[in-house]
Amino acid sequence: MADTMGHSATATRNTRLALGFCLLAIAPQIIELIWSLGTIPGWGAGRGPGTVVTSHMTALLAGAPSAIFGSFGGGTKKLSSEVLLALIYSYPLFVLAILTFFMPIRSAQDYVGGVVVMAVALFALWAGSDLQGMRGFSFGAGTAPRMFGGLLVALSAGIALTGLLTDGPALAHYSWRGPLFVMAAILFFALAIRPLGLVVTAFASFMIAVTGSHETRWLEAAIVGACLTLGCAILFPYVLGLPMPMFPRFLIQ
Amino acid sequence: MDIFANLAHGFAVALSPINLLMCLIGALVGTLVGVLPGIGTIATVAMLLPITFGLPPVGALIMLAGIYYGAQYGGSTTSILVNIPGEATSVVTAIDGHQMAKQGRAGPALAIAAIGSFFAGCVATVLIALLGAPLTKLALAFGPAEYFSLMVLGLIFAVVLAKGSVLKAIAMIVFGLLLSMVGSDIETGASRMAFNIPELADGLGFATVAMGVFGFAEIIRNLDHGAEMNRDLVQQKITGLMPTRKDLADSTPAILRGTVLGSILGILPGGGAVIASFAAYTLEKKLAKNPSRFGRGAIEGVAGPESANNAAAQTSFIPLLTLGIPPNAVMALMVGAMTIHGIVPGPQVMQKQPDLVWGMIASMWIGNLMLIIINLPLVGIWVRLLRVPYRLMFPSIVIFCAIGIYSVNNAPVDVILAGIFGLVGYWLIKHDFEPAPLLLGMVLGPLMEENLRRALLISRGDWSVFLTRPLSAVLLAVAASLLVLTVLPVLRAKRDEVFTESEN
Amino acid sequence: MISIRALTGACAAALASLGTFIAPAEAQTYPTRSITMVVPFAAGGPTDVVARIVTAHMAQTLGQSIIIENVVGAGGTTATTRAARAANDGYTLITGHMGTHAASVPLYPKLAYHPEKDFEPIALLAGTPILILARKDFPPKDLKEFVAYVKANAEKVNAAHAGVGSVSHVSCELLHSILDIKPVGVPFNGTGPAMNALVAGQVDYMCDQIVNAVPQINAGTIKAYAIATPERNPSLPNVPTTAEAGLPKFQAQAWNAMFAPKGTSAAIVARLNAAASKALDDETVKKRLLELGSVIPTSAERTPEALASLVKNEIAKWTPVLKPAT
Repeated sequence: MADTMGHSATATRNTRLALGFCLLAIAPQIIELIWSLGTIPGWGAGRGPGTVVTSHMTALLAGAPSAIFGSFGGGTKKLSSEVLLALIYSYPLFVLAILTFFMPIRSAQDYVGGVVVMAVALFALWAGSDLQGMRGFSFGAGTAPRMFGGLLVALSAGIALTGLLTDGPALAHYSWRGPLFVMAAILFFALAIRPLGLVVTAFASFMIAVTGSHETRWLEAAIVGACLTLGCAILFPYVLGLPMPMFPRFLIQ
Repeated sequence: MDIFANLAHGFAVALSPINLLMCLIGALVGTLVGVLPGIGTIATVAMLLPITFGLPPVGALIMLAGIYYGAQYGGSTTSILVNIPGEATSVVTAIDGHQMAKQGRAGPALAIAAIGSFFAGCVATVLIALLGAPLTKLALAFGPAEYFSLMVLGLIFAVVLAKGSVLKAIAMIVFGLLLSMVGSDIETGASRMAFNIPELADGLGFATVAMGVFGFAEIIRNLDHGAEMNRDLVQQKITGLMPTRKDLADSTPAILRGTVLGSILGILPGGGAVIASFAAYTLEKKLAKNPSRFGRGAIEGVAGPESANNAAAQTSFIPLLTLGIPPNAVMALMVGAMTIHGIVPGPQVMQKQPDLVWGMIASMWIGNLMLIIINLPLVGIWVRLLRVPYRLMFPSIVIFCAIGIYSVNNAPVDVILAGIFGLVGYWLIKHDFEPAPLLLGMVLGPLMEENLRRALLISRGDWSVFLTRPLSAVLLAVAASLLVLTVLPVLRAKRDEVFTESEN
Repeated sequence: MISIRALTGACAAALASLGTFIAPAEAQTYPTRSITMVVPFAAGGPTDVVARIVTAHMAQTLGQSIIIENVVGAGGTTATTRAARAANDGYTLITGHMGTHAASVPLYPKLAYHPEKDFEPIALLAGTPILILARKDFPPKDLKEFVAYVKANAEKVNAAHAGVGSVSHVSCELLHSILDIKPVGVPFNGTGPAMNALVAGQVDYMCDQIVNAVPQINAGTIKAYAIATPERNPSLPNVPTTAEAGLPKFQAQAWNAMFAPKGTSAAIVARLNAAASKALDDETVKKRLLELGSVIPTSAERTPEALASLVKNEIAKWTPVLKPAT
C-alpha cells in the first residue's frame, strides 16, 4: 500500500506525525495548563496558569539540560517534578519526533501505536518517579511501577520497530461525531447526576448521546428516552435498592 | 461420612417454600445484575444486604448466594450481545461470544453459555458436598509464592488469548499491570500515580476500565461505521435460537474440561476464580485443531470459559463453608450477613450450622436448575433485543453503563474515567491493540505484585522460594512451557499462519 | 496540583445552585426527612454492622428513616472527607472508627480533613477488643513467652496485617513500639486473607479484632495470647487480658462513633446523642452488639464531650506510634 503513495505524500505524513509527537511530548504540560485555567474563577486549589507556564517553560528550556550536565558533575540534588517530567517524558518524545521526520514508515498503525504506548509508559515512569524504590530485600512502592514501566517502554519500542520494518496498515480513519456526543453524554451524566437527579440526567444524557448517530429520529428517540428513564427510575432505586438521587435537588428542598 | 443424610437434610431445608422463594429471587436478581452492564455483584450484594436482615439467616444466605452465581449466568449475556463484560470472569466470553452474535449466532452462544453453566454448576455443587473438607487443604497450601506463580501463569494465558500480534498482546498486559498500580500501595500506603485525585486513591475500578475499553469504545467504534454496523447486527439472518447438533458436539468436551478447571481453580481464595475462565479459554485454544477459529466466533471459546467461571463460582464457596474465611469480596459480604444474624462462620460452621451449610449446598443445585429454566427461554428475548435499531440501542447502553458505574461507588468521577477509557479503547481498536489482555493484566496485576512482595518479605528477599516450593515450581514450569508453545509459532515463518488462515 | 475533583465539584455546585435555596434548619422539628448515614467501609464489615444495628433503632426514635451509604476507599478517608464537606444540617452523618478519626492523622499526611476540627462528635457507639493471635504451632505458650520469643527473633518472625491503616496494622504497630522491635509486617488485602494465611501457618502472628477471631480460636486453628482490654471478654473467657498476662501497657480497642459535620447545631447533636444512647440501652441492640464481641460504652462514655476527648486522646496515642511508619 505504502508504495502506491507518492514520495511526497509520505513526507507530508511524516511531518504531521513528527509535529503530532511534539505535541504529545508536551501534552501533560498543556493539560495542566488547561486545568490551571480553572483557578481563575476560583475553582480548585491548584497553581495559577502563570506559574504553570513559567515553571514548565524553565524546566523544559533550562532546568532539564542543566540537570543533565549537572549529573555528570556528580550533583545529587533533588530535581523538581517539572524537570523530571521534561527529562523522563518530554525529551525522549522530542527525540522520537525528530527521528520520525527522517524515518520511512511502513506501517503507520504499528509505528504510531508503539510511540503512543511508549509515551504512556514514559509518563507512568515519571508519575512513579517520586515513589520509593527497593528497601533492602523488600519492594518499595515504586519498584513494581518502574519495572513494568521500563518493560512497557521496551515492548512499545519493539512495536514501533515493527512499524518501521514490516509492511502493515496505515493510520485508520477517525470520526468525530460519535466520540464527541457519546463523551458529552457521559460527561453531562457525571456532572448532573448529583445535583439534578436520575430522572432529568438520564433523559438529557440519552438525548445527547442520540445526537451521535447520523440517523436520529427525534420524536422516536424522545419517546424511547422517556420510557428508558422511567424504567431506570423504577429499576435502579427500587428493584436493586441503589441509593440514588431521583429529582433535582432544588425541587426536594 | 453420611453425605446422603446430610444432602437429604440440605434438600429438606432448601425445598421449604420460603427458601425456594429466596433462591428464586436470588437467581432472578443475579441474572438481572449480571445482564445490566456496570452493576457488579459486589455492589448489589452490598445494597441488598440490609434487606436480608429481616429474613431468616438460611434464606438470606441462599438468596445472596443465588445473586452471586446467578450473576455469572447473566454476565455472559451482555458480553455476548453487546460486548460488555460486567465481571472479570466474562471478559473472555466476550471475545468469541460477541463474534458469534455478529454472525447472527447470538442464540446458540447464549444457550451454550447457559447449558455449560448449568452442567458446571451441578458438578461443582456435588464436588462441594463430597469433597469440600479435603479440598480445603488446597486452599491452605497456596501461600504467597504459589499465588505469584499462578498469576504469572494467568498472564501467560492472556498472551495466548490474543488473536493478533503477540508483542502487542504482551504490551497490553503490561499496560494493564501499570494501570493496576494506580492507587495506594498496600504495603506502605503510599499513593501511586494518583495525582492527588481522591477517586484514584484506591485505584481504577475494574468496572470503570472494562466499561470504557469494551463498552464505550465499542459504541464509539460502531458509530464510526454508522449505518453499516446497524445492518451488520440486525439484518444478519439470525440462524436459529438453539445450538445445532454440531454445536453441541463441539462444546461438550469444552464444557467438561472447563468444569474441571473451574472447579479446581475456584477453590483458591482470591484470584483463582478470575483465572478459571482464562485458563479454560487457553486450554480450548491450545487443544483445538484449528486455533485460528478462536476470536472469530468459536463456540468452544464460549462453552469452556462459561463452564469454568460458573464451576469456580460454586467451588469458591468451599473456603467459606469449611474454614469460615471469605475468599473474595462478595463472600466477605456474606460473612457480614451471617454476623448480623449472629452466626460467625468458622471452621466449625459445618458441624454447628448444618441447616445453613447443607441448605446452601442443596440450594445451589436448585438455583442452577432455576437459572437454566429462566435463562433458556430468555435467549429468545435477548436475541430479539438485537433487532432494536442501533440508533436507539447505543444511547440506552450508554445510560445503563453510566448508571451502573456511578452506582458502584456513587462517584461521578468514575463515570468520567470510564468515558476517558472509552476514548482510549477506541484508539486501541484503531491501532489493532486488543483490550482483553489489558483487562486481565489489570485484574491480575495487584494480585501478582502483592503476592510477589509478600513472598519476598516472608523469604527475606530470597527469590528461590518460587522454585523450591513444589507447587509454585510446577506452576512456573507450566507457564514457561506455555509461553514457549505460544511464542515458537510466531518466531517460525509467517507462511504457516497464512496456511492455516486459508483453511477456514 | 491538578484536581479533577475540585473542578467537577465546582461544576456540580454551579448546576446545583441554579435553584437551590437553603431553608434555615429548624432544630425543634428535626428531623423532617430521611437522614443519610455515611459508613466509610463496605457493607457487612464490622463498622457497617455496628452502624446498621444502632441506626435501625435510632430511626424509630427519630421517626425518620436513616439511609446507610457505604462509601469505600483509602482506609475510609474518602468517605470521611465527603462527610466533612457535607451540609451541616444534621441530615448527613458518619459512623467513623479508630482509623478514620484518629490513626488517619499520622498515616495520611495529606488528609483533607481533621477529625477534631471538621466534625461535631455525637456519641461513641461500640468498642471492639483487639487480640494478639498466632498460628497454632507458634512456639510460645503464653504472652510472656511470646514477648521474649518475638524480641529474641525479631529478625525472623512475620506479623500479618490487613493493609496499611487497618485496625490490625495500627494495633500491631502499637505492640511493636511497646516491645521496641521492628519485625517484618506482611500486608494482606483485608482481614479474610490475613486470617487465611495465619490459619495456614504462612505468617506467625497478628493483632486483630475479636469478631473474626473467635470461631478460629474455638476451633483451635489459631491461638490467642491475650486480649488488649482491661477486662476479659465474655465470648472468650479463657483468654487473659494483657494486664493479667504481663503486658499492661498494650491497651487497644477499635471503636466506632457517630459524627456530624462541623457546625451542626447543638440541639441536633443533643437529639442524635439521645437517640443513639437510647438505642444502646435497648436490650436487642445490646444483645446483638455483645454477640459481635463488642463492648458497649457506659452512659458517661456516650456523651459528645467524652467522644471529643476520646478522639483527642486517640490521636495523641497513635501519632507517635505511626509517624515513623510512613
